[in-house]
Amino acid sequence: MFPLTRNALNRFKIRSIQQIRSRQSHENHSQDFHNKYGNTVLASGTAFCVVAWVFIATEIGVKWNLSPVGRVTPKEWNDE
Amino acid sequence: MPPYTSYHAQRTYPMPDEPFCTELNAEQRALKEKEKGSWTQLSHAEKVALYRLQFHETFAEMNRRSNEWKTVMGCVFFFFGLTALLIWWQRVYVFPEKPITLTDEWKAQQLQRVLDMKGNPVQGLASRWDYEKKEWKK
Repeated sequence: MFPLTRNALNRFKIRSIQQIRSRQSHENHSQDFHNKYGNTVLASGTAFCVVAWVFIATEIGVKWNLSPVGRVTPKEWNDE
Repeated sequence: MPPYTSYHAQRTYPMPDEPFCTELNAEQRALKEKEKGSWTQLSHAEKVALYRLQFHETFAEMNRRSNEWKTVMGCVFFFFGLTALLIWWQRVYVFPEKPITLTDEWKAQQLQRVLDMKGNPVQGLASRWDYEKKEWKK
């Protein structure tokens, strides 16, 4: 009894998903702003953000004071 | 496109009292009259037309996904990038002179002084320095 109803319900769900898919492709005939430009906005925004922050981090002279281990060679300090 | 009234239906309030279309032409009024009879005599197209009079969108249309998140996240990243430009301006016009203790030469000498004092020799800085070979441990 139960497997029968479960199979019937599964078939119903599958069909409605197909209907949703076809309706979505129909909807996108009238494209909105997000469909047309969404990918461009996302890609350009991300690129601008990454470039700007990498520039800030490396080029403008911010002292991050990272650990000297492996990076700084010590120098004699008590000359006198 | 039928005129938009005070129709407000949403997923949480799916069946308001007001129908979507209140101004009906003659054909639509005839259909509403036919609706008062037995529904078995309505064709499929008529039933769909009656639905469209009553409701703006089906649940599938109402709940459809969109690409709005791309625009939103793109703008979020854009303004985050603008913040980086703000910080650049601050670096040029607001930040004071770098103190002498942050120059590379001073930091190198400071490092040697800490190593001479064997600061944190167990797990910290001096433990990472090889005193025999005078270089950082690998």
